Amino acid sequence: MKRLKIAVFISLLAVFLVACGSNEGGESNSDETENAAQAGTTELDESTEMNTEKKELNMALSVDPDGLDPHRTTAASTFQVTNNIYDTLVKVTPDGEFEAGLAESWKVSEDGLTITFTLRDGVVFHNGREMTAEDVKYSFNRLMDEESPRAGDFANIIEINVIDELTIEFVTEELNVALLSDFAYPWTAIVAQEASEELRNQPVGTGPFMLEEWIPQQQLVLTKNEKHYDPALLETITFNMMPDATSQVSALQAGELDVIAVTGDLVSQFEGNDAFTILENEANSIQLMAMNTANEALGDERVRQAINYAVNKEALIETVWWGYGQEIGSHYPPILKEYVDTNDVITYDPEQAKELLADAGYADGLELDMYLPASYPAYVDAGQVIADELGNVGITANIEIVEWATWLSDIYAGRQYDLTVVGHTGRLDPYVLLSRYHTDSEENYFNYSNERVDEILTLVQEEQDDTKRMALYEELQEILAEEVPAFYIQSPTALTVTSSDVAGYEAYPIDIYEMKDVYFTN
Amino acid sequence: MLNFIVKRLFSGLVVLFFISLVTFIVLMWIPGDPALLSLGTDATPEKLAELRESMGLNLPWYEQYYQWLTGFLVGNLGNSYVFGEDVFTLLVQRLPVTISLAVLSMAIAIPIAIVIGVLSAIYKEQWIDYIARSVMQLGDAMPQFWLALVFLVFFSAGLGWFPVAGFTPVEEGFFASLHSILLPSIVLAIGQIGPLIRIIRSSMLSSLEQDYMLMTSVNGFTKFRSIGKYALRGAIIAPLTIIAMQLAGILGGAVLVESIFALPGLGRLLLMAVEQRDLILLQGIVIFVTGTVVVVNMVTDILYQIVNPMIRFGGSHE
Amino acid sequence: MSKLKDNKLLVFGLILVMIVISICVVSFFYLPHDPNAMNTSDRFQSPSIEYLLGTDQFGRDIFSRIMVSSQYALLIGLVSVTLGSFLGLILGAIAATSKGFVQSILMRIIDGFMAFPGILLAMMLVAVLGKGLWNAVIAIAIFMVPVFARLSYSLVLDQKNNLYVKAAKSYGASKGRIIFKHILPTILPRLITQFSASIGSAILIESSLSFLGLGVQPPDASWGLMLSESRQYTLTYPFLAFPSGIILIITVLGFNLIGDALNDSMVKRRASA
Repeated sequence: MKRLKIAVFISLLAVFLVACGSNEGGESNSDETENAAQAGTTELDESTEMNTEKKELNMALSVDPDGLDPHRTTAASTFQVTNNIYDTLVKVTPDGEFEAGLAESWKVSEDGLTITFTLRDGVVFHNGREMTAEDVKYSFNRLMDEESPRAGDFANIIEINVIDELTIEFVTEELNVALLSDFAYPWTAIVAQEASEELRNQPVGTGPFMLEEWIPQQQLVLTKNEKHYDPALLETITFNMMPDATSQVSALQAGELDVIAVTGDLVSQFEGNDAFTILENEANSIQLMAMNTANEALGDERVRQAINYAVNKEALIETVWWGYGQEIGSHYPPILKEYVDTNDVITYDPEQAKELLADAGYADGLELDMYLPASYPAYVDAGQVIADELGNVGITANIEIVEWATWLSDIYAGRQYDLTVVGHTGRLDPYVLLSRYHTDSEENYFNYSNERVDEILTLVQEEQDDTKRMALYEELQEILAEEVPAFYIQSPTALTVTSSDVAGYEAYPIDIYEMKDVYFTN
Repeated sequence: MLNFIVKRLFSGLVVLFFISLVTFIVLMWIPGDPALLSLGTDATPEKLAELRESMGLNLPWYEQYYQWLTGFLVGNLGNSYVFGEDVFTLLVQRLPVTISLAVLSMAIAIPIAIVIGVLSAIYKEQWIDYIARSVMQLGDAMPQFWLALVFLVFFSAGLGWFPVAGFTPVEEGFFASLHSILLPSIVLAIGQIGPLIRIIRSSMLSSLEQDYMLMTSVNGFTKFRSIGKYALRGAIIAPLTIIAMQLAGILGGAVLVESIFALPGLGRLLLMAVEQRDLILLQGIVIFVTGTVVVVNMVTDILYQIVNPMIRFGGSHE
Repeated sequence: MSKLKDNKLLVFGLILVMIVISICVVSFFYLPHDPNAMNTSDRFQSPSIEYLLGTDQFGRDIFSRIMVSSQYALLIGLVSVTLGSFLGLILGAIAATSKGFVQSILMRIIDGFMAFPGILLAMMLVAVLGKGLWNAVIAIAIFMVPVFARLSYSLVLDQKNNLYVKAAKSYGASKGRIIFKHILPTILPRLITQFSASIGSAILIESSLSFLGLGVQPPDASWGLMLSESRQYTLTYPFLAFPSGIILIITVLGFNLIGDALNDSMVKRRASA
């Protein structure tokens, strides 16, 4: 019988949706480091000399990967790990730049529709076989296969031509200025065809580490791949599955772990302690309270603005995330270069909120249903604080806490809600982050519609001039900040704590753990 | 006797069938579409329909149940949505943890309960009895999840006596393994001590009152024989009764305790199956857990009958 | 001598329960603070005159929240056990007075329910019914049904063969009349004992459900929910785990003691009879 291969996992860390600061009940820790990028306040200067004895690293994961097959899942928990087992053609740096991966160089045709990669020579799979352009073709075909949940993202690729052993060409149908980024995501991993049936449990890639052992809900062990083109510094990495944040903190303190992701309240346990290093990274993600504009009251811009005026964002971030986050006024994280600061468009002003509500005809109050995803305690907390403040301006928010499964089906896909708190993860291409505001987007759970927004979203994909494209993105952010289809809360700060002898651990603008440059100092 | 065993086996099977049917129907009602879950926010209507079909979710419930049941009868519990793995394999993987927990917690609880229970029966209405009964009452009233939380903070995080989380398999050393499950076992044991003391104390009291030991010597039995005949029977029955009675409670307690201590056992598998709507896995675990309880009860009843045919079957279950 | 000790147990249990009931009654008329009002600048306060048991992660007064939660705990305990015992009694009585097939089917159903670990059954039921106070009540009530059904079954069965029941039958009293007029009064004390003991376990199950996020929903307070919220802060603010944990233990202990004391006196009465 054919095995059910479709990855079925309530990916609590699913694609675009990301939670920050949640840690209870075993769902998500990985999101803390999720899409964190640059600006790391790395304090590793005391000793950077490598410890030649200690080469085994212990890390905590709060949830198992959804299998180790990169082409059959959308779970962030998978890619965090598989990034170390497989390689991609292009790699992204912590600063969001592209650099050579399995491809040494690449060339884009003049019309922008064809991209040609020259592959690195002498790369071998973990099983010892040499990797060629045929493997790249096979892997992309497998990624675009109907069994793959990502197939849609790559539908634009209409032809893959192997020119010779080390040269491969991808032809696209429509112009996409951010084409290169499509080859840097961890799901575009190159896999060995002969191992494809068992990748879920027995991955074979070309990456710096190989799978040694995986006992679900217990641990996953990777060992160094000596034949990698850029060999790793560690010999072994053990990922320990620990759903409880408190346990992770205690285990780090007890020396059982070397690296963990933490929430704002737990950072205090490590502050001022020389034995640990705290890494703060701005994340490529945002958190917001979405408003369903299909609701009669919320369809009125004034009501949505009133809600934005009613909540003290700074206090909210302080209460829920302990101040670890940056206020935002629109659907865009400050870390991306197209960001414009829209925080001044609407500021905390409960009186203004009451006036706007009165104008809109809701002087006597308004009742709304707020749904919060149970798996993300931070969103549940944020929702409660917001509801409390909305109460002060006469809006009653009835809270219902729903399972992630229900959230996905009823709120996100079914759009049956008034208010909900959730997070969205950015990708390398900013278009992906904003495309959900298109009137016809499947992902437009705000039911938001604005002709100019639709127009911008079409223009921006074809605009090859960087300055003009940037201006379009800025205009879009400003429209959203004015019309507020959501109450935009913050872009979170990802917090990672390592024992102080860990060096080389960096956060990336996509959700991966890059372990090959990590080492211990003396 | 044979008649009784056959009847008892049959009724056990009926119970199992009933449980599987109810569980299946109940699970069908649970909101949340496994197919949608797998696709997450990438779902399109076409993809969804395709996936639902390949997962067999578009069939009416009785056909899905029939498929599950026929699979079950040939030992195939289906594949977990989440792990893509055979449910039976998953159960077998997790079993050692939960069994170790159950065994160790009983190994802690039973001797303590026997000592306290016997002493409190002998010294009835004296201070030992009062203390014993207070311990029993406190054990009964304390929520296990609270105890687990407090122990974790105090003994693991605070004093560092125990690892904070995780399970060390026996292959990595017996004592290391024991150490890794000792604290959760103590939590589970505290939950069992109350009911155990109760059973032991009251059965001890009644046997003291009945004084059949006295009777046997009147009847001319030697002391040795009477111990062999009665006490030994009691010794066989008592642990069986206890295991049968406590099993459901231990498994229930394991759900919470395993999740708090991050132990990869059946309980945590169950919680994950509930949270992630892995219905096939959930069905498998529920059947396994309840099936175990039913079978153990059945075996106990049958052994009861063999060991002591005078015990009336079907009485109060207190 | 032994009477005195039993009374001590009973009195102690009664005192504990009275404490909880008085907290509950007072909470209807007076609360030191609005239990749901957040005051985020005052969060994680230590106990003080202003906040008797300190404040939680949103700056809500823990004492007021504990007071309000007592309403839910008692309500859930009483209503679910009442419902469960009533249904259980009916089911058990039907099973005991019917014959053959009906009886064995009923008993197998009851056995089936008994095979579920309590929390598992409650979790499944809540998953179907949805979360919330009343669904938790129903789930716990269903959990209680087999307990009472089993008990009533064996009690009714015992009584059925009693002389006076046989006598009643012989002069042609109806089945219902026999059960209500003759059997029920004699088995009622045992049922009441079980009732009292079950309230304790019902409150425990509710707190477990709320701890798992399946019972009372935020922003409302429940002891289990407060414990679950405190879980995140076990390292930073361990004190949060204690007030709700202790009041929960007091309540359950109180009801259990009463149940036990009643049970003991019943056993004695039976023994001396």
